[in-house]
Amino acid sequence: MQSIIERIEKEIAAWDPTSGGASLETGIVRAAGDGIAEIDGLAQAMMSEMVLFDAVFDRTLEDALKDTSPIYGLILNLEEDGVRAVILGDSTRVHEGMLVRRLGKPLSISVGDSLLGRVVNPLGEPVDGKGPTKAKEDRPIERQAYGVIDRSSVNVPLHTGIKAIDAMIPIGRGQRELIIGDRGTGKTSIAIDTIINQKNEPDATRPICIYVAIGQKESKTAKLVAELAARGAMEYSIIVTAPASAPAALQFLAPFAGATIGEYFMEQGKDALVIYDDLSKQAVAYRQMSLLLRRPPGREAYPGDIFYLHSRLLERAAKLSKEKGGGSLTALPIIETQEGDVSAYIPTNVISITDGQIYLEANLFNKGQRPAINVGISVSRVGSSAQTKAMKKVSGKIKLELAQFRELEAFMQFSSDLDADTKKRIDTGRRMTEVLNQGRGVPLSFEMEAAVIFAATNGYLDTIAPAQIGIAEEKLRAYLSREAGGILTAIRESKEIREETEKTLREKLDAFVAHQSA
Amino acid sequence: MIDSYTRLLKAVADTGETAVADVAVTKLVRHLKSMGRMKMLPQIVRELRTIAARRNALHPRLEVASAKEVPAALKDAKTLGIAVEQVEINPSLIRGWRAQSRGRLIDRSAKQALIQIYQKVTA
Repeated sequence: MQSIIERIEKEIAAWDPTSGGASLETGIVRAAGDGIAEIDGLAQAMMSEMVLFDAVFDRTLEDALKDTSPIYGLILNLEEDGVRAVILGDSTRVHEGMLVRRLGKPLSISVGDSLLGRVVNPLGEPVDGKGPTKAKEDRPIERQAYGVIDRSSVNVPLHTGIKAIDAMIPIGRGQRELIIGDRGTGKTSIAIDTIINQKNEPDATRPICIYVAIGQKESKTAKLVAELAARGAMEYSIIVTAPASAPAALQFLAPFAGATIGEYFMEQGKDALVIYDDLSKQAVAYRQMSLLLRRPPGREAYPGDIFYLHSRLLERAAKLSKEKGGGSLTALPIIETQEGDVSAYIPTNVISITDGQIYLEANLFNKGQRPAINVGISVSRVGSSAQTKAMKKVSGKIKLELAQFRELEAFMQFSSDLDADTKKRIDTGRRMTEVLNQGRGVPLSFEMEAAVIFAATNGYLDTIAPAQIGIAEEKLRAYLSREAGGILTAIRESKEIREETEKTLREKLDAFVAHQSA
Repeated sequence: MIDSYTRLLKAVADTGETAVADVAVTKLVRHLKSMGRMKMLPQIVRELRTIAARRNALHPRLEVASAKEVPAALKDAKTLGIAVEQVEINPSLIRGWRAQSRGRLIDRSAKQALIQIYQKVTA
């Protein structure tokens, strides 16, 4: 108490009414509504600059001290006779005639290691009730992405723990891989499993995971946080949330805040993974803001710069060169399609920006395939160069075989008379589909994935009926964990299946098959 | 069209030459009559009033906590480039003064200083 009194007394003694009170540029709110404020004045204001709506200017000191929570705004339109700004917070507190102060800095958030394990809003303010964060470094949320010279090629894998993805659509650290599909097809599940799977990574190389929830129900985000905490994944994760109830401005800013936090870790030489769930809702929020800002609408009423909105965000994902510390920021944007229409405006935009897409199909989901990935149109354009030798070796022809299987499966509906070779291919395809089936919340370590796929592609599961593959695989995993720990360690450490490891693995698999047949 | 006519009249008014402004208004009225668009005139007046009101809101303004501080406040404000004719007494400032002019604010009141101290101490 004494120290506070002393500090206040010191501040009062230091106050000199004839000095201080620097000249500030101010404006006056001309009109406010729908989260947008029209401001007169602020002739020197910059685009994307922060402003402060001074709610206490006309109040007495007593009233002013009761209401000290600031209301910030972000200038998005510079006009001939004033500016237009989006209100970042409770817009009902902004009224006509209110004084607005320029802050002279672009919209920034505080970043730091202390954000780990926290849930914050797009302004970096904690919303998890655990008190203030100790993040001290302010960073602008909009910035130019790294250029060609500062980058290196993507060459380190980011394991999702999902067999189908790691085998056929591998993702590299620094890559931008789109997850796209209708609602309820398991897009978020892939993202969450990927975060949980990072627990399998060694501490030194474990990516920091940032999950950006845009326009989602708060109950869904709360459930997700609880799941991550229960699985011990919150210690390396940060959640940025702009729920459905948040103003459109915050939903628009949330991915940029996530990218800013990710860049902080990337620039420290660490790997970071940021998931934008989802960019369709961000585009809708941006459309709402743009229309209210009276910007001309284009296709589907989106503004003309909607492509730039997503490209400048996703371009910030990078694998930095050694000179820049070698860190990386991997982006997994999510897009929700309507009735599987990937040719709509926003999906095509984001598909063209990213380095590949994982397409989830409602039909496959309804058939029971998990994850419901359509292998035919899913692709990873840069991830294969980051795939480990072990995974490359075991998964070599899976994609082709599955594509052939899908064609034959369609053909089979019209013809019951099949030759032996075709029948074998169909059986193998069915078996492989079952092997790649994987429930939610059970991501596998990379070495376990490699061993299981090795067993499947080398005929060790051929004696098992496709319907029984799930159970058999579970037994195989338990068996390998119990009996082949050394082999798994060797694969994990060398990242390949060497000759001697392969020999031992085959022996163990033979023993497993023999035990199953007995 | 209303916007264009308003902007034209605003630009003329900004020159500060009353004679030129009179001629402009006369010509505009004549033009509107000849075109049969006299209905636009009240709307143009309304737009001009809005502009005038917005400009008034940004006019120089000096608030002082008490009457005895007026001379010093006027002098200080003038030194800092804000010349005002009228002064308002605002006891809520506690002590000191604050001045606004054309989008500039200089706040040297005890109220502002106390708010800043409060923010520093509670941050």
